[in-house]
Amino acid sequence: MSVDAVAPVGAAGGAPAAVMDAAAFEAALTPLLGAAYATAYHLTRSAADAEDAVQEAALNALRALRTFTPGTNFRAWFFRILVNVVYSRFRRTKREGTRVELEEAPELHLYMQSAAAGLHAGTDDPASALMDRIDREAVHAAIAALPDEYRVVATLYFVQDLPYQEIAEMLGVPVGTVRSRLHRGRRLLQRALWRIAEERGIAGPPATGTGEAP
Amino acid sequence: MTRLTCEEAFARLDDFLDRELDAAEMRLVQEHLDACAACAGEFRFEATVLGDLRAKLTRIDVPRTLLAKISARIAAVERAERDGH
Repeated sequence: MSVDAVAPVGAAGGAPAAVMDAAAFEAALTPLLGAAYATAYHLTRSAADAEDAVQEAALNALRALRTFTPGTNFRAWFFRILVNVVYSRFRRTKREGTRVELEEAPELHLYMQSAAAGLHAGTDDPASALMDRIDREAVHAAIAALPDEYRVVATLYFVQDLPYQEIAEMLGVPVGTVRSRLHRGRRLLQRALWRIAEERGIAGPPATGTGEAP
Repeated sequence: MTRLTCEEAFARLDDFLDRELDAAEMRLVQEHLDACAACAGEFRFEATVLGDLRAKLTRIDVPRTLLAKISARIAAVERAERDGH
């Protein structure tokens, strides 16, 4: 029997497994702050709440450092804490702005609508022709229009470009749930986006060419 | 090897764009897109929209003071723990 048999799990051939210290925690957290803030911003729909949520998540994470195993996925662990903070402290029951009806989530909505509006004419890249007309604020308003369960999956997917499995781990739900919510959420997002684009007059039917100013 | 119909390829659109299919299925969809200009155009449209949405959703100005505030709070927790022990 070797003395190695009593070494902690994960300690073989390296430093002993230990609790991450505050300096290492801050170093691991810093590169994630941009994604954390963007995630919190889309989930809370508020810059002030997003900032508070990220700070609170950082403190909660620091206090819970003993539950994190160094060498495992720090990002998934931290974002799970962040999502919990947002839902427990910053959930808003009152909704404002454009909303999207769940029952209507057609396939290829932007493709069809932009084609019908004449935006595919004379270009071999109709998607860019469309999206160049849709600014960042319109996209933010569209994701804000999604119901919570779709918005959280879509936000983690878009902001972090993660595999479905990792999103599932962050949310503590089965991967099939992530897949179905994300696929449907994408269609809902396209629908909300087109409506906002229409409301703002940035993706309506092409001008009829009379040359007159509106 | 069986070829996918347009409908079968379209049913895999999201998973294909997200690289969530296994290698054999990815290849089947790609073979369909290589042979079908209509589906290729739709897939390209969706991929471009997704990329644009990702860029616009990610580009958010993080408050400049956020990191400093977090650092200060981490330091405060550390101080409190030290003093308390």
